[in-house]
Amino acid sequence: MEDFKVTLKQQIIDSLNLQGMRPEEIDDNAPLFGEGLGLDSIDSLELMVLLERNYGIKIEDAREGRKVLQSVQSMADYIEQNRKL
Amino acid sequence: MNRPVYIKAASSISPQHSYEAGMLLQPVVSSDNGRLYVVEQDYRKYISPVAIRRMSRLLKMSITAGMQCLSDAGVSPDAIITGTGRGSVSDMEHFLRDMIAMKEEALNPTYFIQSTYNSVNGWLALQTKCTCYNQTFVHRSLSFELALLDAQLTLGEGEDMQNVLVGGFDEMTDYYHLVKDKIGYWKKEALNSLDLLKHNDSGGTIGGEGASFFVLSNDSRDATSILLALEILHKPTVTQLQNAIAKLLESNGLEPCDIDLLLSGINGDVALQDSFDAASNMFDSSTAIAAFKHLCGDYDTASAFGLWLANYILSNQSIPEITLLKQGAGRPVKKLLMVNHTISGDASLMLLGNC
Repeated sequence: MEDFKVTLKQQIIDSLNLQGMRPEEIDDNAPLFGEGLGLDSIDSLELMVLLERNYGIKIEDAREGRKVLQSVQSMADYIEQNRKL
Repeated sequence: MNRPVYIKAASSISPQHSYEAGMLLQPVVSSDNGRLYVVEQDYRKYISPVAIRRMSRLLKMSITAGMQCLSDAGVSPDAIITGTGRGSVSDMEHFLRDMIAMKEEALNPTYFIQSTYNSVNGWLALQTKCTCYNQTFVHRSLSFELALLDAQLTLGEGEDMQNVLVGGFDEMTDYYHLVKDKIGYWKKEALNSLDLLKHNDSGGTIGGEGASFFVLSNDSRDATSILLALEILHKPTVTQLQNAIAKLLESNGLEPCDIDLLLSGINGDVALQDSFDAASNMFDSSTAIAAFKHLCGDYDTASAFGLWLANYILSNQSIPEITLLKQGAGRPVKKLLMVNHTISGDASLMLLGNC
């Protein structure tokens, strides 16, 4: 799981082009939006695309999406349970 | 259209060192591979780290040039008007490639959002909190001229309109260069960009890119030059071009001998040589002749770089040696006529004066 979270963090960095950031600088439980990484609504769409492309996960329900994209930890948990790729 | 407007500031990110202060166009940049790319700048001055990570080169250079121009003028814009021939080509290429690769599913939103022609204007409006008139003209090689025309008209609307930010921007990508190569846009022979205008016996030109912005104003205070008149010509014949120049000069109370510098948008393409010769033959030996597309390459809004150069020459009273085709009488540049020739056959005339 720890190795997977590092991989996921790198995918987030690449997908959102977070220049100069390294996986170890992202806290597992820090909020991705608002405080934490300070991502915005376009980033949330990019993260949805990341889940679909890399793990075959399609989130249709916006409320569920909000829960999944709370933090790296919540994303990793959801991927582990729902991945199709 | 004869409606004088003042240029209060100009900023250009181009293949030359036009953005940084200092000696004009020094050191001169050249290329041997048939295209010229802009001299990249530190774009973080005006764009936040959160925003910059999503931006293409075109967005970054256009927003930076626009914001620098407003900063130099020390004004807030009453309108933002731009022209671009192709918009953000690299973003468009990204999402079109993704559409094919991903079979039209799971597409990244960012490239699509920012590939729209008016994304530069949108960003400038956000940065300046300008919610007033905002327009982007996309009309191939006359895009910048139409933006200028709209700015002239907008400034004539009344007291509310005092300062308008006007710009022209386009970018070069490998794929765009390849596509244009297939339809004969570029020179086949190898040449150094600085020798472009000597290769005027063959077809084609060299590619380029850039973002040039201007604050146009009704206020003459601190103006760097004045745009006296603008004329746009749709595929003029040689005779029509000469008649248009004569008419423009006459309507401004000028004779050809009053023009101190003819700034030409000649691009080395043999197809435009007659047009250039026709324009330059109207002026006697006292009028100096200069050109600019060997410095910025040819692209749809290259005339914006030409206007930046014209403004620089008028405000500094110095014609860069590298631009000169004919010396002239060496008198001060009080009146300058820019004649832009484009591959599409359209042309534009801009008459400028010093302040």
